[in-house]
Amino acid sequence: MIAQLIDGPLWYFSLTVFVLGVLWRIVMILRAGVKKDLAVPRDGGGAGALRAIFSRFVPERTVRRHGKVQLIAGYMFHLGLFALLFLARPHVDFFAEHITGFGWWSLPYWAFIVAAEVAFAGLIMLWLYRLLNPVTRLLSSADDYMGTVLVFLVMLSGCLALAQSVEALRLIHLFLAELLLIYFPFSNLMHAFTFAFSRGYTGATMGRKGIRA
Amino acid sequence: MLINHRRVLQLLAALLLLLIAFPAFAEDVASSHKPVTVPNPATDLWRAVNPQQLPPAQAAMFPRGGSQVQGVQSGVLINQQGQSWRHFRMKQLLPTGGYLLAGAMLAVLLFYFIRGKVLIRDGESDKKIERYSVYERMIHWFMAFIFLFLGFSGLILLFGRSLLLPWMGPELFSILASAAKEGHNLFGPLFLLALVLMFLKFVIRNIYQKGDLTWLLKGGGIIGEHDVPSNFFNMGEKTLFWLLIIVGGLIAISGVVLLFPVFEQGRGIMELSHVVHAIAAVIMLTVIIGHIYIGTIGMQGATEGMTSGYCDLNWAKDHHSWWAQRCIDEGKVLPKQQSVDGHTDNPDSASREGVQ
Repeated sequence: MIAQLIDGPLWYFSLTVFVLGVLWRIVMILRAGVKKDLAVPRDGGGAGALRAIFSRFVPERTVRRHGKVQLIAGYMFHLGLFALLFLARPHVDFFAEHITGFGWWSLPYWAFIVAAEVAFAGLIMLWLYRLLNPVTRLLSSADDYMGTVLVFLVMLSGCLALAQSVEALRLIHLFLAELLLIYFPFSNLMHAFTFAFSRGYTGATMGRKGIRA
Repeated sequence: MLINHRRVLQLLAALLLLLIAFPAFAEDVASSHKPVTVPNPATDLWRAVNPQQLPPAQAAMFPRGGSQVQGVQSGVLINQQGQSWRHFRMKQLLPTGGYLLAGAMLAVLLFYFIRGKVLIRDGESDKKIERYSVYERMIHWFMAFIFLFLGFSGLILLFGRSLLLPWMGPELFSILASAAKEGHNLFGPLFLLALVLMFLKFVIRNIYQKGDLTWLLKGGGIIGEHDVPSNFFNMGEKTLFWLLIIVGGLIAISGVVLLFPVFEQGRGIMELSHVVHAIAAVIMLTVIIGHIYIGTIGMQGATEGMTSGYCDLNWAKDHHSWWAQRCIDEGKVLPKQQSVDGHTDNPDSASREGVQ
């Protein structure tokens, strides 16, 4: 009964909430618009936006110097998570069966393990930094912790179910992933989509003023 | 002819009784004979593949076999050491390890009731000293998180069958055991990473110094009312550090041998690794129980340094008086409020830098 619910209606419900929620958030951001810039632009805003979106993957020198751990841990977590989410064999099979209808190249087992180790190390380090640094601790809200805990639990339950021999572990993983999908659009986890908008806005504004931001 | 119905009925009843009683009678007769010796073909097979069951002269006739499978010891069907290993695990490791861990917890509990919480002698002051930077605390808690996860999952793998299976039942326990195994294997390499980070960050301050032996000979001041002066780390903390590096290193290396059977290690090495892994882990868990006790409920003000990064001045005077004095001399003592509100821009630069 519970297994059928998790595999069926709850999966479709959470996926619908995720897709509609993310679209709604993005549309609301776009509809908010920007104040008209009356000054004569010195350069193109579009080029500035594109530059900022991609150039900021490489951090500024001050960040590289004073935020090495956050920088390294941040990349470890995000790259590891990306690899686990889109290139793990069980996930590719799941996407092919439930969403896309086709599969793609997946990581070999050893690479999956390495990706999981890297992602876990990065996530735990970032979490600890958030808790232990007085500034980030002050800036963090319950939403930040909630998102971290959910992502951690989804990753952990997925790795615990790796043997694929115990159905209950797979269901726990899927159930937690569904909770994450429902929570995602209403949380700071939306930065997975909105980072491009914020970088693009700053880049376009600065670009019009002739500043390479 | 006149038929005596009663007689016929009596005859039929007697016949029925005889039919019922005959098999039992036949069994009795059979059991009174000696059993027929039937050679068991499995016994011959066992002797053939397990040469150590035979006298030495005959054992030489059964060398290691050949196999189509190309692998380490693929020609060995029966691993004699496996029995010794299994016996050691079931009969020695499980009970001894269990008693050791339970004993450590009991000892800590008894110590708490006898000695009580070690309080700051003059109470908390209004001054603080920075003790650990953000990065140092991150590494400590990273290690703590990984160690506890591996510790609990390892204990489930070691003692679960004896302690949890009867209580949880096979279905629930199989889920837990499978999850514990996967989790233990996954987080294992992270322990090695944590160990390396720990070593690099803390090794300088854990080199033994003059005065450390005195601290040890006086029992670290934990027994009795007299405090023993020490540096940034006392002899006990330094010994814990080196135990973690050496015993933890053994755990990590033996774990790697178990986790990656791709270095042509045979079953003997795997069994030896398992024994080393388990013994070292039980020793480390026992020691860490003491560390957790003294770092939390056992001593007032001990957790603070590892959570906020700052320790109370009076706590430092009580337990690390030489370091506290140097901090006072170098003007590194802060008002309590400043230590709570303020922070350093560089999370790696603690005010106690150079003060050990």
